[in-house]
Amino acid sequence: MRARNRSRIAGTLGRAYLAMILLFLYAPILVMAAMSFNASEFYQLPFEFSTTWYERMAGNDAILRAAARSIWIAMVVTAIATALGTASAVALWRYDFWGKRVLQVLLFPPIAIPWLITGTAMLIFFFGVGIGRGTPAVIIGHVALALPYVIVVVTARLATFERVLEEAARSLGASPWLATQAVMLPWIAPGVIAGALFAFAVSFDQFVISYFLSEPGDSTLPVLIYTAIRKGFTPEINAISTIIIAFSMVVMLIAARFTSFGGER
Amino acid sequence: MTRLLCTATALALITPALHAAEIRVLNWQGYGTDQDFATEAFEEVTGHTVVHEYFNSEQETLTKLRTNPGAYDVVLINSSFTPQVVDEGLLAPIDTSKLENFADLDPAFVNNDGLNEDGVIYGVPWTWGLTSIAVSNADFDTPPTSLEVLWSPEWEGRVSIRDDAVEAVQIGALATGQSINDVQDLEAVRAKLAALMPSIDTYWGSENDWNQFMASGEFAAATYWSGSASRSMGKGLDITFVVPEEGAIGWLDGLSIPAASEKKDAAYQFIDWMIDPEFYAEWDKDGAPATANIAAASALPDDSFNKAVLGDPAVVAKVQFMQPMSDETRETYLKLWQDLKAAQ
Amino acid sequence: MAEAGHLARTDRLRAAGLLAPAYLWLTVAVFLPLSAMAFFSIITDVPFGDTEWRVTAENYAAFLESPTYARLLWKSVLLGVKVTALCVLIGFPCAWVLAKMIRGRSREALFLLVILPFWSNSLVRIFSWAIVLRGNGVLDKAVNAVWPWNVEVNLLFSEWAIVIGLVHSYLPYVILTAYLALQAIDDSLIEAARSLGAKWWTILWRVVLPLSSSGLIAGAVLVFVPVVGSFMEPRILGGRMGTYYGTVIEDQFVAVFNWPLGAALSFILLAVVLAILAVSAPVLRKART
Repeated sequence: MRARNRSRIAGTLGRAYLAMILLFLYAPILVMAAMSFNASEFYQLPFEFSTTWYERMAGNDAILRAAARSIWIAMVVTAIATALGTASAVALWRYDFWGKRVLQVLLFPPIAIPWLITGTAMLIFFFGVGIGRGTPAVIIGHVALALPYVIVVVTARLATFERVLEEAARSLGASPWLATQAVMLPWIAPGVIAGALFAFAVSFDQFVISYFLSEPGDSTLPVLIYTAIRKGFTPEINAISTIIIAFSMVVMLIAARFTSFGGER
Repeated sequence: MTRLLCTATALALITPALHAAEIRVLNWQGYGTDQDFATEAFEEVTGHTVVHEYFNSEQETLTKLRTNPGAYDVVLINSSFTPQVVDEGLLAPIDTSKLENFADLDPAFVNNDGLNEDGVIYGVPWTWGLTSIAVSNADFDTPPTSLEVLWSPEWEGRVSIRDDAVEAVQIGALATGQSINDVQDLEAVRAKLAALMPSIDTYWGSENDWNQFMASGEFAAATYWSGSASRSMGKGLDITFVVPEEGAIGWLDGLSIPAASEKKDAAYQFIDWMIDPEFYAEWDKDGAPATANIAAASALPDDSFNKAVLGDPAVVAKVQFMQPMSDETRETYLKLWQDLKAAQ
Repeated sequence: MAEAGHLARTDRLRAAGLLAPAYLWLTVAVFLPLSAMAFFSIITDVPFGDTEWRVTAENYAAFLESPTYARLLWKSVLLGVKVTALCVLIGFPCAWVLAKMIRGRSREALFLLVILPFWSNSLVRIFSWAIVLRGNGVLDKAVNAVWPWNVEVNLLFSEWAIVIGLVHSYLPYVILTAYLALQAIDDSLIEAARSLGAKWWTILWRVVLPLSSSGLIAGAVLVFVPVVGSFMEPRILGGRMGTYYGTVIEDQFVAVFNWPLGAALSFILLAVVLAILAVSAPVLRKART
């Protein structure tokens, strides 16, 4: 009885803590959304309700085009980076070979060196070897920056995978590759999903590379935001960001409703 | 516009094969060339469409021109940077006979050292303005008359300058009574700026920052650009742009045509439209920097900011125009500025 | 599994097949371009057009000549340590709650909700923090609404603001990687320890931390490494206090066209970060066993 009481208290405290973290994570998002409904162009308080910015945004082709472009680029990048990254993570975990440490250490430069420098380097190099600029160049760059995140996250998940499980499957008569598919993939699925979510975030927020490598007129949302800053960006940016977040939230909650990754143990 | 129309028709008659082109303009965002009314009118008259690409710093313009030959047809370059771009062979000389409005440009700007090299002009003087200070009217009943207001203990924590090495050093030069283009006593500038640092809560980096900080009351007095001041006032910020007794920094922006451009004729047409008084009159309503076109400047209404403040001979007499600067000087200034910032 | 370096032929082919796409991609898009940058870092001027250049070590020497760079790098490393520590301290319990206390469908939903703020634009997010933290801002008003005495809360333009902004940006990394590791721990293991009379801190120290260290370390690395080179949060939220190593590198690229120096400073950053990871690796590995 006492134990059950204690675990109920712990559960309540745990939930309260989680709620606090969510509040912290969403504080700026709420402010962002609130400011999209605030009349002041300069984000001034007190708050005064207005839908002006949504109306202006709806008539702003450049913003809508850039948002659509950012979303589809991020989707393509996520698909490629997750597939390639997961494959590498599996190989790095499964096989021991000479040079493995080097390959692991090589994942750090893209994360450690500020994107500004990596982006500039890509611009020069792509120009030098004739890849030039344009959407393919942007995707090549985004995938490269997202890959290390996918590999690191999936590898971390794999480290928890008891080989026993795999061996058990093998002893049941399945070939190692079938065993991999049947046992390992479901197990690392949460890691792969987390990696994909990171990859999407990296691409969706990536500014330097899109900025240097996009064709004129083909800007993405972050590029639009960064270049708008000189003149002053308006809460239209908040409006489009709010819509994107709200939309993603709905999609995610639906996804969570119908899928169960990681499942119950 | 009518003149532009004539030019267009004339060109169309001379070169029947002239197709509608897509020209690419490299500029700051929201800096005149991308005004909707302007690109629409241009497309209507000439059939050429205009695509924009933006940059966030002058260094970036150089990078983009170097690594994307042929990608741009018109590019905005500050006259203090033009020589560097010309030296790398990235710009085409301007054939002024192709610009109907060229004769109306202020000779003082046309002959600017930065835009000309060996008697050849590489940039069409387009706009100019001042870097000076602006103050919040809520805090100042009467605007200050001296740059010293930034150092005044009364406004400690509520003053700001832009996070830019060259601009910081030049403001320091003005405050210590030196020429901005030939700073003799750099140590005096360093000491002056070091004294200013504790009063600054944050630097500003863009018009966006500036407007927000001024609107939220973080700033009482801060350095600012004249064109931006006029635009901020247009948006409803209650501020006054001040040209103090120590003077102000003047800058001149020119429009150039990259050597690698393949649509130079269309580029000339676009530049001609950009220096057209009719374009400027419309742009000025939105808050524009001052024009280099004398006819356009005199056509402004008397109460317009650009005529009332920048058209005043007493103001003009106090301005020191920025001259081209070597990379070494720039790096020296950056080192000085970074050391000051790092010491905070 | 096979001995190191002696993989069977089929295994070798499989390993190569799995690794090649990602690493070839990284080579073309990151390693070769960065090699070009590394080359820039040892020459005097960027070799565009007819600029004269020669090989030199002066860009690296510049780091040693002025105390400014080393001091800022130290300041940035400290910032990285603080932010990482806070992310781990705040994120780990959160991951624990998520993995062990929440059951059923709502767990997936909460898991996704933690990541979602990540999908907003970082610049918009930072500016929103500025609105929250500044004097007379959202936080100030919220505190004064519940606190009976009048207090002035103005965190903007302080190290606090930078830390808050960075923790917010990087917390999800730790929560997710720790969650993935914790979720993999069998509950019966913890139950067994408990029934043997182990106290909660013993369970935490002896069972939970060792079993979840892979995720925790991955998360900490994903936070520490980019934070040391960050420049946007410090610049915007730190104001006058916001000069860090990353902002100095940014200036070399944006304000003056000194890529050689900027590249040299970046590689020094990379070397220092790798050295720190190398030094802490044995410690962390020990903690794992």
